[in-house]
Amino acid sequence: MKDTSAKNVHGKAGFKSAEPIVTLLVLAGLALFPTLVSSPYSLHLMILLFLSIIMGQSWNIVGGYAGQYSVGHAAYFGAGAYTTMLLMQQWKIAPWYGVWAGMAVAVVVALVVGSICFRLRGPYFVLASIAVAEILRLSTMNLKDLTNGAEGILATEIPPLTIAGKVITDFSTKVPFYYIGLGLVVLTIVVTFLVQHSKLGYYFQAIREDQDAAHSLGINLTFHKNIALIVSALLTSLAGSFYAIYIGFIDPPTVLGLDISVQIVLICIIGGIGTIYGPVVGSLVLVPLSEALRSNIIAEAIFATGAVSPTSGVGVFLKENLAHAHALIYGVLVVVVILFMPDGVLGFVRKLTTKRKGERS
Amino acid sequence: MLKIDKLNFSYDDLKVLWDIDLEVHEGEIVSVVGSNGAGKSTTLKNISRLVRPDSGSILFQGEEITKLESHQVVERGIVQVPEGRKIFPEMTVRENLRMGSFIKSAKATRESNMERVFTLFPRLKEREKQLGGTMSGGEQQMLAIGRGLMTNPKLLLLDEPSLGLSPLLVGNIFEIIKEINRQGVTILLVEQNVYQSLRIAHRGYVLETGRVVLSGKGEDLLNDPHVRKAFLGM
Repeated sequence: MKDTSAKNVHGKAGFKSAEPIVTLLVLAGLALFPTLVSSPYSLHLMILLFLSIIMGQSWNIVGGYAGQYSVGHAAYFGAGAYTTMLLMQQWKIAPWYGVWAGMAVAVVVALVVGSICFRLRGPYFVLASIAVAEILRLSTMNLKDLTNGAEGILATEIPPLTIAGKVITDFSTKVPFYYIGLGLVVLTIVVTFLVQHSKLGYYFQAIREDQDAAHSLGINLTFHKNIALIVSALLTSLAGSFYAIYIGFIDPPTVLGLDISVQIVLICIIGGIGTIYGPVVGSLVLVPLSEALRSNIIAEAIFATGAVSPTSGVGVFLKENLAHAHALIYGVLVVVVILFMPDGVLGFVRKLTTKRKGERS
Repeated sequence: MLKIDKLNFSYDDLKVLWDIDLEVHEGEIVSVVGSNGAGKSTTLKNISRLVRPDSGSILFQGEEITKLESHQVVERGIVQVPEGRKIFPEMTVRENLRMGSFIKSAKATRESNMERVFTLFPRLKEREKQLGGTMSGGEQQMLAIGRGLMTNPKLLLLDEPSLGLSPLLVGNIFEIIKEINRQGVTILLVEQNVYQSLRIAHRGYVLETGRVVLSGKGEDLLNDPHVRKAFLGM
């Protein structure tokens, strides 16, 4: 019998008395981080980490809690990114207004997806969600007059944030992005917490565990699935807008491509689906890993241990190929997690550290 | 209380219900019996609006319910306990029961209903904090019925509650159904266990290949030569 305590959303396992203190300490540490570390690369890594957490947390609401595995979340990510970016570049509307428009567009997309796709169950819903994201990507590619097509959009200038004529912050360094990212992480975690501890959370979980039983208890399935999707789309759109403004360049494959959709799902699968900290753990695994693989750090570390000489045949092979192998290693990681840690890394760790919670017969 | 008139239903091209007439009066236990594929469960699904009938009418307390959505039917007081104990495996017993009490009409009486369920099924009280999926088949069936009761049903639809239970538990479940009925809940019961379900029923209907072939008092049906021959092997 497998230990199910980790996925038991309403179990009290995750909330012990020390937890608020630990959370506050971590938050304080994160808030002070930019004053202690000034290296732009460290800040960049942290911002990527935040972005990944926001995306994972957003997907988790519809995928983890309500059990509707959307593999088309790039649609909402891209809707946010493109709306904010277009408003800023074409119509000179500052991004902090643009994000609201981005969210509105994402909700419209979510309503279309929901009203069509939630008639389908299981694999059909997954396929339909992919299809919608692909339609958006191809439309963006081809509506050249509006979206600039495959060339993408480059942010030439981000207007500084001013309140009553006073400049609050300009966006010339990474620091403001760091705090915005941190704020969004807190926001998504709070939203997830609220959803989990409300009637909605119970409804979502009931739908995930047994649609027929949920139906028989008078839960309006379509309505509640749509609510889950809309909340999720709103937050994903925020992540998309944040990404667009931070990176300063978007094109259809990077914000609307299938790999974005898959990546969002992976964050949750690897961390632990349907738990508050799952996306955090998943991001902590995936972001450093993909950075390390991309930057040849691993090959250099192997040389540093002296196990392989950089000039030997194996060494040259590693140096040339390891950086390109990140997709392969990513894939292997997913297979390992699915086979050996079906509740994600978080569930696996909990299984090792805590005794079984449920009383058994 | 419930009046079904000339109900016809088909799954795509396959017609499964033919002009079903069925009536349940307030306070009754009505059993619908028949062999596999006779259309018993489909009849229940039509009442709880999980499927939409081709034609015919279903009146509940004078209101036509064929046009309602399934969650509206639950709000009117018709609750189905689905076949095969569809409980939420990763929620605790208490959480499973709470799931039944979120609709408006049941919220206020959540605690008293919970007590009532625990009195009917002391076993559930013992297992309050256990995950639903880790319980035995009989306990899960109790949980499914208990969860249905949490919604304050006027009419409880039970779909094969004895399916897959040990003979000892089967008798137990039927006693509990009688007790629930004594507490004022009208019950429409669909069963393959013809003897037990007709024994506790006030009235019964016999379905064969989607048609009502016999109806009458429970004990009369038990003594009916056709029923004895076809279902009881006598």
